[in-house]
Amino acid sequence: MTNFAPTEPLIQKGEEHLSLSRSGTLQPPSRKRRDALSQTVLFIVLAAGSIVMIIPFLWMVMTSFDWGARLQLSFPPRLWPQDPSTKTYEAAFTNIPMAKYIWNSFLVSAGVILVSAVSALLSGYALSKIRFRGANIVLLLALSTMMIPFEMTMIPQYLLFSGVGLIDTYWAFYLPAMNYAFGTFLAKAFIDQLPSSLREAGVIDGASELSVFWRIYAPLCAPIVATMVILLFLGVWNDMLWPLLALKSSDKYTIQIGLAMFTYNNGLNQQPSIIMAATAVSLIPVVLVYLFLQRYIIESIALTGIKQ
Amino acid sequence: MSPRKRLLTRNDLTGYLFNAPLIAGVAAFAVYPMAAALYMSFRQTEGSVVSGAWVGLSNYSYVLEDSQFWKALGNTFYMGVLSVLLGIAISFIMASLINSLKWNLGKNFFKGVYFLPNVVSAVATSLLFSFLFYPGKEGLLNFMLGWLGLDPVGWFTDPRYSRLSIVLMSLWGAVGYNTIIFLAGLQSVPRDLHEAAEVDGAGSFKRWLHITIPYLRPIFFFMLVMGTIGGMKRFTDVWLLGGTAGNPSGSLMTAVLYIYRNAFLASQMGVATAASYLLFIIILALTAILLLLNRKKGGPD
Repeated sequence: MTNFAPTEPLIQKGEEHLSLSRSGTLQPPSRKRRDALSQTVLFIVLAAGSIVMIIPFLWMVMTSFDWGARLQLSFPPRLWPQDPSTKTYEAAFTNIPMAKYIWNSFLVSAGVILVSAVSALLSGYALSKIRFRGANIVLLLALSTMMIPFEMTMIPQYLLFSGVGLIDTYWAFYLPAMNYAFGTFLAKAFIDQLPSSLREAGVIDGASELSVFWRIYAPLCAPIVATMVILLFLGVWNDMLWPLLALKSSDKYTIQIGLAMFTYNNGLNQQPSIIMAATAVSLIPVVLVYLFLQRYIIESIALTGIKQ
Repeated sequence: MSPRKRLLTRNDLTGYLFNAPLIAGVAAFAVYPMAAALYMSFRQTEGSVVSGAWVGLSNYSYVLEDSQFWKALGNTFYMGVLSVLLGIAISFIMASLINSLKWNLGKNFFKGVYFLPNVVSAVATSLLFSFLFYPGKEGLLNFMLGWLGLDPVGWFTDPRYSRLSIVLMSLWGAVGYNTIIFLAGLQSVPRDLHEAAEVDGAGSFKRWLHITIPYLRPIFFFMLVMGTIGGMKRFTDVWLLGGTAGNPSGSLMTAVLYIYRNAFLASQMGVATAASYLLFIIILALTAILLLLNRKKGGPD
């Protein structure tokens, strides 16, 4: 049986070669032509699909430069602006405090990323390299809370922050960032692959646990930290639900809630080109991150399958 | 006492210290809120005061008897199921097409283009599509319908179409994400399986149907689970496009919007937390059903 199995496909392969040559010289070229044809069809279908994906972006950018569409959409819809101008962008920045909102979004993102990454690396390192009682319980608890949707916890979390007077401050973002169980999971899996001998050598040399972690392991974790930073940035920059609850005064708004509130108060479908200009500006950071780190993002998503 | 029996070793202490931020975060922002929400769901709580009379299950029965809740659940479910199924089908086909493309540069280009909408926020997507799906003849989609001789459709303003429009809009954002995951899966299908089938005379479509799809079954289920969970939490786009009433005529009222309204507009924290627990139970049940289905169909392999 074991001797026979590998020869079976070989015989069949040989038969195929035979039938190929038996059916004449036409077979290989026609197959090639069929391949070329199917590749062309594939390409056309995929290109059509990408046009569908791109047109909304294209329309947004073109409309954002159209002073003629500052009050209402023009008819017929056009890709090239009726009255090309950058005044729409000036209007966007004066009507909506865009610069302030974007700065606020950067502050919130930076703080959340810092707190989350440090918390995830510290716990991931300890769970991977230090043998301590209850390590499994900590890991299990953290991972099981990943299943809890934020929508479940938002009401008590809001009441908690308003109870201690931290609503309308960025502490409402920085403190929950400590709970980044997914990052802990990523960091632990990554550090598991680093040799434990590094730690043992450091400990023998009399280095403290913290300096072993910070000087030896943390620098080696750069790739996984990069993954966390990208995923966190995209998540925090784009979030609107928690900012809607946690931020009350408009000068603290992040870009998402700022844009949303402006639209909410003025009504939908007003000032097309100005809203599109503001929207386009709000997309610049994430699109830049995407363009430069596309490979990282796609790899990390294919790897983890989870976005947050 | 021998050192082994000491209460805490040095390693224990360092371990806890390193895990302190995580443990504090999990305790304060996962465990506590879950417990507090459960507690509140049994109390008559109004405003931001976590107290009030014990009312037993009356918050739950209020929610369960509220036709608004069922309508919201129905809308959420309708939009969730439609966008998950369409999203999986489209992105699997797209991933298969990209995977069979032999031109590597093109492969990477299409991957990049399909994924791009995924980094766009729900707010930006909603604002953009509110114009693309503008109800008048000026909207791009209605203009294109005009070429076919069709009358303008009130995409987000007609309750007959609003939910479908939300689904179409979210497909734009979600297809690329699923395509990336499918592509990773497609590359893991062992080549010798395909070669063996090719030798047996199976065409590429047959191989796709009988080898690729069964092989990727775990990924399909993973996406069903993740998509269902995500779909049940729909809020930002419907809030922005339909307001807190889920307009037009409540067709965009979703379960999370219902919770938000009760908690932050009506200050009915007890009712809102009861509704959030009901939603949580529904999500858990759906996940469990999907996982069970997966295991049952999986059989011995």
